[in-house]
Amino acid sequence: MLLKSVEYVRPDSVAQAIEILESNEGAALLAGGQSLVNILKHRVASVDVLVDIASLEELRFIETHPDGSIEIGACVTYDELDHSEVVRSNHEMIAWVASHIEDQQIRNRGTIGGNCCLSDPTNNLPPLLVSMDATMNIQSSKGMRQVRAEEFFKGYLMTAVQPGEILKSITVPRVPSDVGIGYVSLSVGEDSKAIVRSSAWVQLNDVIQDARVVLARVAPVPVRYQPMEEALRGSSATPEDIARAASLIGSDFEPVADSHGSSEYRREMAQVVAKRAVLEAVDKVRGEGGSK
Amino acid sequence: MITQSATQAIEVTINGTTYRRVVESRQLLVHFIRDTLGLTGTHIGCDTGSCGACSIIMNGKLVKSCMLLAPQADGAVIETVEGLGNDGELSTLQESFRDHHGLQCGYCTPGMLMAATYLLRNNPSPTEEEIRRGIKGNICRCTGYVNIVRSIKAAADSTQAELGDSVAKEVSK
Amino acid sequence: MSAASNGRTATRERVTAWTGQAIPRKEDDRLLQGEGSFVDDMGMQGQGYAWFVRSPHAHARIVSIDVSPALALDGVYAVLTGEEAKAMCKEPFFRIAPGAASHIEEWPLAVGKVRYQGDAVAVVLADTRENARDAAELIEIEYDPLPAVVDGVEAAESSAPILHEEAGTNLAWNGVFDYGDIDWALENADHVVKIDRLHFHRFSSTPIEAAGAVVDWDLGSGVVTINTNHQMPMFAAMFMGPTLGVPINKFSFSSRDIGGAFGTKIGFYPQLAALALLSKKAGRPVKWTEYRTENLLSSTHGNERTFLDIEVPVMADGTILGFKTRAYDDVGAYLHYEPLGGVIWSQVLPGCYKLKHIRVDYSATLTNKCPVSPNRGYSRMQHLWLVERIVDTVARELGFDPIELRKINFIRPEDYPYETPNGCVYDSGDLPRSLDMALELVNADYWRERQKELGKGKGKRIGIGVGSTLDSGTNNFGQARIINPELPFSGNGEAAIAKLDLYGEVNINLGTSPQGQGHETTSAQVAADILNLSPDKVTVTVGFEQANNSYIGFSGTYASQFAVTGLGAVMGAAQKLRDEILEVGAYALGLDKDEVELVDGSCVSKSDPSKSIPFIGIANLVYTNNAVLTPELREKVSLTCRYVYTPPFQVPDTTRKWGNLTLTYASQIHACVVEVDEETGEVKILAYAAVDDCGRRINPAIVEGQVHGAAGLGIAAALWESFDYDEDGQLMQPSFYEYHVGTALDIPDIRTGYIESPSPFTPNGAKGMGEGGGGALHAVCNAIQDTLNKDDAIVYDSHNSWERVYNLLKSGERQAPRGVSVLSRVSGS
Repeated sequence: MLLKSVEYVRPDSVAQAIEILESNEGAALLAGGQSLVNILKHRVASVDVLVDIASLEELRFIETHPDGSIEIGACVTYDELDHSEVVRSNHEMIAWVASHIEDQQIRNRGTIGGNCCLSDPTNNLPPLLVSMDATMNIQSSKGMRQVRAEEFFKGYLMTAVQPGEILKSITVPRVPSDVGIGYVSLSVGEDSKAIVRSSAWVQLNDVIQDARVVLARVAPVPVRYQPMEEALRGSSATPEDIARAASLIGSDFEPVADSHGSSEYRREMAQVVAKRAVLEAVDKVRGEGGSK
Repeated sequence: MITQSATQAIEVTINGTTYRRVVESRQLLVHFIRDTLGLTGTHIGCDTGSCGACSIIMNGKLVKSCMLLAPQADGAVIETVEGLGNDGELSTLQESFRDHHGLQCGYCTPGMLMAATYLLRNNPSPTEEEIRRGIKGNICRCTGYVNIVRSIKAAADSTQAELGDSVAKEVSK
Repeated sequence: MSAASNGRTATRERVTAWTGQAIPRKEDDRLLQGEGSFVDDMGMQGQGYAWFVRSPHAHARIVSIDVSPALALDGVYAVLTGEEAKAMCKEPFFRIAPGAASHIEEWPLAVGKVRYQGDAVAVVLADTRENARDAAELIEIEYDPLPAVVDGVEAAESSAPILHEEAGTNLAWNGVFDYGDIDWALENADHVVKIDRLHFHRFSSTPIEAAGAVVDWDLGSGVVTINTNHQMPMFAAMFMGPTLGVPINKFSFSSRDIGGAFGTKIGFYPQLAALALLSKKAGRPVKWTEYRTENLLSSTHGNERTFLDIEVPVMADGTILGFKTRAYDDVGAYLHYEPLGGVIWSQVLPGCYKLKHIRVDYSATLTNKCPVSPNRGYSRMQHLWLVERIVDTVARELGFDPIELRKINFIRPEDYPYETPNGCVYDSGDLPRSLDMALELVNADYWRERQKELGKGKGKRIGIGVGSTLDSGTNNFGQARIINPELPFSGNGEAAIAKLDLYGEVNINLGTSPQGQGHETTSAQVAADILNLSPDKVTVTVGFEQANNSYIGFSGTYASQFAVTGLGAVMGAAQKLRDEILEVGAYALGLDKDEVELVDGSCVSKSDPSKSIPFIGIANLVYTNNAVLTPELREKVSLTCRYVYTPPFQVPDTTRKWGNLTLTYASQIHACVVEVDEETGEVKILAYAAVDDCGRRINPAIVEGQVHGAAGLGIAAALWESFDYDEDGQLMQPSFYEYHVGTALDIPDIRTGYIESPSPFTPNGAKGMGEGGGGALHAVCNAIQDTLNKDDAIVYDSHNSWERVYNLLKSGERQAPRGVSVLSRVSGS
């Protein structure tokens, strides 16, 4: 319940933050703190220095680019995503998913960067960002580098961000008008702990042109399930087609069991949420679903 | 820049009063408010940021004070339950909780009031669904939430009615 | 789902009776302003902060403890280990259990062995909370792990690891309750329904305020001051006194505002004893604030009960003759309130039904899990759930409508007072009407239509279920003798003082320790009616204040009894005070006692209201001006009137296990409509209602609030909350992250109805209520059952996560064992 002794610092710029990270091996970034403070309370990780970046304006912006993509600063909160006109105009699923993260208090502090960097297989935004083919922009003293969302998540609390680096922002491509995105969670309690999730990005004209189906909480990180994606491509996207494609999710996964569900149940439910996510995506393109 | 240190000198304004203290960087904001400043109206009910009994409004946003460290509040303007009334007079919201039996043991109540205050500021006429979403981060074990929702709805209706009255008075002048 | 107002009258105008009015509560002003006094809000000069060191193992020998690294830390005042604690004690804690379990030695901290994950091994005292925690981590303990037993049935077997060697068994208590002739009934009934196994799960009401205390052992006076949120302080004192060697009058217990308890704040006297010893050792006050993970691990589980080999004889017309079963109550690693639970369930032996032949072979077993503490609905809830599952299952197996079968077997309004097979007397009620009301409140007819339209296979299914339950209140502690004939306990009661203060203010003072039930308000209502003035003019001091308040051995707030015992005491005390005021007032006015009355704070002549004397005048005469009074009046009147209410109990017959065990029986009928997702097992509640009958309602809003609260907790336990241990005895839900407590988005709107069937046995016609009897668990399980097919398994557990429901939905097609079979001696039922 109570933290170990720790140093706190609030830098004035990202450059300063990076300097501090480089000179303190045990330093960790503190943004919203909605995951990190719990980790520290339960003393399951050791941190020597907390670098508070939550109010750095360099990390708090939402911009549209000429190609229709948007770039979201890492310290934008879930609540800000929920209420952003820019996000809602073409990337409304990000606003919708953010608006269903736990509760108002957590949404007022939790950040998109934190949700990604404190990688937990139950987190809400990572599977969505993978399905939207987002790009993570990582800054260090050496400059900027990009990592695709699909390659960003490495394991529990592990991402592509190396010591001395900061996730600066996330770029999400424009969502074309023939694309629908579905996002379905099975959870214990509403807007609460995930049992499994799926995010599906489907490009549909007469047949499915392209599909990205991401599963969360069947593995330590969100994963795209290629066999289902392949089965969907070229299909007419009938409910039967989709159900058949989803039924391919089988023993490829060994989800970790815990108090919220067994491995077996999670595997079976992964089929259900993936199917429903694709159905939702398809309905949206066809104009049947309407907005969530 | 707030320099790197295991202790910090912080300045926090709570319910209109400014406090300057030296704190350990690791001290949770809720312990700063309760133990250091003696404002014991804000409560602690869990250790995972789940129950919301510690809810306060910081820089205009509803947050859980057990999920913040005291130095993160340096320079902040904070409202707690002690600041809701007017000199011992209950606010419309507090009266509504009393009139609709929106509390039993009273332990979750301060956090619930802060959540309701924040909700009504941003959404003066919430539906029942919106009220429930607004207090989702506040756990109550005594009431089953039924009377809490009624209290908040009634407070919203009453405030709207008062506003309506004052508008009507203006119009009729 | 409308949030319509419940029509409360927030009035302070003159009414003919305050009792029965939904007046706003006196408690609320301070609580709404954050000015309550909860235990962590208070402290003592020079205090240190305590942190318990707890075992990570479910079962292990303690090989060594090295506290020196902790003592070396700056700011640490003292550390206490189990061996030290034992050396400072006179004897181990007094044991309620007879026989083998009476040999169990429990000390304030674990000695030699740890017996559950979370068992306290040492406690640290330091200058700050953080330093105490840091120091605790430095203590080096070597454990030698032992095999753990986590199944309450297996624990009774001789091959199971034994927790307490001095007892030689994990069977803490066994008793066979046998009434009527179940063997004859089973031989002769038209049908016998057999259910293999039903399981009532482990969970807790987890009040948002966890346990806490500020304890000071003053070496000079020998007084141990304990400021705590324990809800039954004299129960704690009974155990702590002999063990610590402290006479009862040297304890100074006090409680102020308590942030919920629901029974879970009864069992933590070992922690209080350890803190007292720590204070004695350190020579300073000790402040302890239980944190949530600590609370879930080590403080607050409800009883878990497994029922095996259930057999139910039923006649062709639907009359259920009774049932038999073997029950195993898993009580965790230590006995705190147990094994009293072994008899308490029998207060409601036949549930709401006219069952005549019942045999329950009941065993309480020790396991390497958190010790249990009474949890809202304590012990009766588990049994009532069994009875409701039996009735519902019998209905489905034999082709009866579950509603009609209940009505066939319900105790009828004309049967009250109704004597059950074990001699309990149900006072009053109207179960059939309550049931009809509940069904109407959830629009059952409408949902039946929707259910038919929807059918099965379209993705969702609708189910409708009811749960009927009793909240037995004011228990006869003589039932403890059924557990152990040596225990010198019987009866019940509560004490209150009513007085006029120096300036004529009315004060009521009583030793209950409310945790949200509004005792200040209801006491004021009752006293106001007797003294004929506004409740605003009655000051009520509650909270267990050993020095100031009045109390008896049973004082506290638990077991749904305040409206009877507490208010009974208030009524008696207020009546005595009224009499005294009338005596003095009549004398002062030169009239006879029957010529005067009390009106609004004065004693007034009935024939000439201008002749009056205000209460301040009465107080003056008695306190500061008594030479004016006659010697007889001076002898008779003190204006401080103590009254002890005691219910009319007898000591039960311990050989036959027979007698009236509870004074009142409130009832609740819950109705629930669920929608189940066929593909995932997700359960959504579409409509919910509860009808309560607690006799005369003193404050209808407070009653309704209790009904809402009990339903909310029950729904959450039915669908999301469960404490499970893995095979190594590790708790899988040690924080609110894993243990999902129902939020405002999860708990549906709850409609309520009421009936008032006054109790003929109580001073005010009220019955205790508050616990609720777990009605929601019964109703939700039955609603889920209503969505399943005939070839599916039956709902066998009180907890139904989505995964469990999913497996139930699939059980038929997987040809899984159904868990139930029927032997029919007649055909065509």
